[in-house]
Amino acid sequence: MADTKLVAEARTEFGKGAARRIRREHKIPAVLYGHGTDPVHVTLPGHESMLALRQANALFTIELDGKEQLAVAKDVQRDPVRNIIEHIDLLIVNKGEKIAVDVNVVVTGESAPGTIHVVEAQTLSLEAEATHLPESIEVSIEGLEAGAVVTAADVKLPSGSVLLTDAEHVVVTVTEPRGTEDESAEGEAAEGAEAPAEGE
Amino acid sequence: MLIPRRLKHRKQHHPSRSGASKGGNTIAFGEYGIQALEPAYVTNRQIEAARIAMTRHIKRGGKVWINIYPDRPLTKKPAETRMGSGKGSPEWWVANVKPGRIVFELAGVPEPLAREAMRRAIHKLPMKCRFVVREGGAN
Repeated sequence: MADTKLVAEARTEFGKGAARRIRREHKIPAVLYGHGTDPVHVTLPGHESMLALRQANALFTIELDGKEQLAVAKDVQRDPVRNIIEHIDLLIVNKGEKIAVDVNVVVTGESAPGTIHVVEAQTLSLEAEATHLPESIEVSIEGLEAGAVVTAADVKLPSGSVLLTDAEHVVVTVTEPRGTEDESAEGEAAEGAEAPAEGE
Repeated sequence: MLIPRRLKHRKQHHPSRSGASKGGNTIAFGEYGIQALEPAYVTNRQIEAARIAMTRHIKRGGKVWINIYPDRPLTKKPAETRMGSGKGSPEWWVANVKPGRIVFELAGVPEPLAREAMRRAIHKLPMKCRFVVREGGAN
């Protein structure tokens, strides 16, 4: 896993006014905490942080006042419309330490012809070494027939990681798709049967 | 068409159109989605039209999720009626959609097909929307 270095500046101003001033300068307000230390409010460079966060579960080296600390992004607040990063929560980690992370599920392969797959769990919780966090977990659905269910127990985990999600948790299901003709007929039937809602 | 089965009050005040969507602004079930960029009242007819446009384009395969529900009634007075004499009769059922809301989701189809199907669906909706792909990449 790539280790990205970010130079942080300590923050002395707080609140939405200060946060907006920071964002106007194309920087991101962030907080660094963990291991029982007091939270440290910092400012991160906007573009570099955005590029680093494109990689899921990335490990950062935060340089603050000449001191370096390893951290992972615990939470990223984004503006859903403008798609900008508003704030980052960074969790301090040590080399060799194991932490719990949510890892994205990526489906590989093709299920049997005429079937579709639905990803029921988009992420799985794993316990992994902080310096070797998996970016994604591959779930193969090659040749699976309709009705097949892949549970968390069936997923091949990256080496050194332990599953925290319930082993019986459904990850992917393979089903037969419903035809368009049937659906539009259903829609028309529902329209015909529609009754005015009662009230008061 | 989507319509509430029972309701507490037949006539309601107009829902607030200010602010951004507080929840439902990330893709939760599928791989692709339609995200609203403006506030709007989306009627049950518009939801149905968008759903049909999408499902007809993808033909067989794929699964569609509708993430909004038209649970708010809007009233209208008849034409050429003098003002007063009470509130009009319920005319439409609308979903109060705010910017950022994921309106529809889709899974089980390749991205170009999903993009085109959702483009067709967006044309049936009253607000500006965009096509979004689930964070972490499509499967």
